[in-house]
Amino acid sequence: MNIIITIAVTALVVLYAGLFKAKKALLPITLVGLLASLAFVVTSWNTNKTYYGMMQMDNFALAFAGITIVGTIFIFLLTQNYFAENSENIAEYFTLILFALAGIEIMVSYKNMSMLFIGLEIMSVSLYILAGIRKGNFASNEASLKYFLMGAFSTGFLLFGITLIYGATGSFDLDVINQYLVGNFKTISPMFYPGVILILIGLSFKIGAAPFHFWTPDVYEGAPTLITSFMSTVVKTAGFAAFLRLFADTFAPLHDFWLPPLMVIVCLTLFIGNVTALFQKNFKRMLAYSSISHAGYLLFSLVTLSGNSANNVLVYAAAYTFASIIAFAVLILVKQKTGNDHFDSFNGLAKKNPLTTLILTVAMLSLAGIPLTAGFIGKYLMFLNVMGEYQVYLVAFAILNALVGFYYYFKVIVAMYFKEGNEIELDTPVQYKVVLVLSVIITVFLGVYPAVILNLI
Amino acid sequence: MGTSVFYFVATLSVIFSLMVIFSKNPVHSVLYLIVTFFTFTVHYILLNAQFLAVVNFIVYMGAIMVLFLFVLMLLNLNKDNEPLKSNMVKIVGVIAGCCLVVTLVGSLKATAISDPVILRNPNLGLLKNLGKELFGPYMLPFELSSILLLSAMVGAVLLTKKEKV
Repeated sequence: MNIIITIAVTALVVLYAGLFKAKKALLPITLVGLLASLAFVVTSWNTNKTYYGMMQMDNFALAFAGITIVGTIFIFLLTQNYFAENSENIAEYFTLILFALAGIEIMVSYKNMSMLFIGLEIMSVSLYILAGIRKGNFASNEASLKYFLMGAFSTGFLLFGITLIYGATGSFDLDVINQYLVGNFKTISPMFYPGVILILIGLSFKIGAAPFHFWTPDVYEGAPTLITSFMSTVVKTAGFAAFLRLFADTFAPLHDFWLPPLMVIVCLTLFIGNVTALFQKNFKRMLAYSSISHAGYLLFSLVTLSGNSANNVLVYAAAYTFASIIAFAVLILVKQKTGNDHFDSFNGLAKKNPLTTLILTVAMLSLAGIPLTAGFIGKYLMFLNVMGEYQVYLVAFAILNALVGFYYYFKVIVAMYFKEGNEIELDTPVQYKVVLVLSVIITVFLGVYPAVILNLI
Repeated sequence: MGTSVFYFVATLSVIFSLMVIFSKNPVHSVLYLIVTFFTFTVHYILLNAQFLAVVNFIVYMGAIMVLFLFVLMLLNLNKDNEPLKSNMVKIVGVIAGCCLVVTLVGSLKATAISDPVILRNPNLGLLKNLGKELFGPYMLPFELSSILLLSAMVGAVLLTKKEKV
């Protein structure tokens, strides 16, 4: 609760700071607010409080809140030199990102369907606007409108599902719904089943899992790169936390019912994400497709429900978040220098920028899942979890897809080290250096010594 | 009496919402949508939810519909600039939609039919009870929706404000 209040109040203070033209103060205020909420996450660890029967701040919620806040801090650090110097709207951009984060904290801790809906909407509405803040840019406008229409459509599915479940159980409360499922297992109302499927569809839209992924590449490519990095890391993590809270806990008794549709979604997501990423010439679009394929791996935690499911998602989401932030940060730097985001822009980057290229290489290795990086631990845990029920074919399919992934991640590394190119020298501002170095340290540390995060929840 | 009114109005709702989709002229669609919302208002009155009925009447039928009409006029939609949809997409859409309809109809048929107009608690929809619910068990989501409205407001101002060049 205090976490959400802190974030919302910070957003308001930033909005007022913008009104009084205190441009220099925006970033410090935001960071202080986020660090304070991070401190609240740490101090309320293991307390497991329920607020008004609507929000449950258990360790699951706190762990995901922590990771989303850290991700947002990194993204705020990347705003240095990003928005135009004379832009008058930076305070509003910051406020909207903070509001989205407040919605995300609601999404990771809800205990009631109404809270899920409100959290999701706060996050989505802020993102629809953030995707379109480049008003003169056609791609940005298109991304915003497309995201808005698709998002509103998927919210319709989600709401319809919630309504049917309310009709069947008479409650929005997750515990009551779970009690209903356990208590009346033989006589569950037939309305409940389409409700579950519709919620599955609505949430799959939000996390960008195939076949509901069509908005993802266009929106990720059209939105400003900084907003894309927020959407594909922090927002995605929150979507999975919401997914997990609902399906791994509340709907767990119906696992046999929703497993087949989920398996179809997982396989399609892995296949479409990886294969389409192969053919991309644009780095940003490739990252969009790779984020689709990572959604597939993340959904593995729901295929076999075990006590470790939540923690596996946490590890995977952490690995994916920090590696992606590195990739997007370097992309912003390259784009500022060369003006486009094609793979060709990365040619010969290693000659003049050894440290940046090394860090990007580690990030790519982590996304591909090479040992000694966090990405490997994440993939290993996911596969291990599914192997617990001998889903051999699924694991074989996933490993094949991971191999496909190697190809397009290595394409970047090859371009940087082995291709001749226009040897540009990137101007890396201090804050970018901090984010890059911290992210790479976290990625390698989690890969070498995963025990810190392994049994957190 | 009540049951027959309910079924009559429900049939009208279904017919008019179908007309919204099938009419070619977008302005007609909006007008049918207004009628559909009016039938919803009747449903709320049948459920003795007076506050919701009035809000639905004023806000949805009045304000939002006018907004829709304005947007349609500004966009100047007509047949010429309507995007062409391939037959493939249409067929896939029909199949997917029919699957959804079959699932929903099947599951609703299997549910026991309750009497649609007998209310277990006739005062359920009254303003007093609504307020008690909103400021009692649902206070937190009610208050948090202020963040939603504020972010939408900030966004609307941000997107429409002219940038100084």
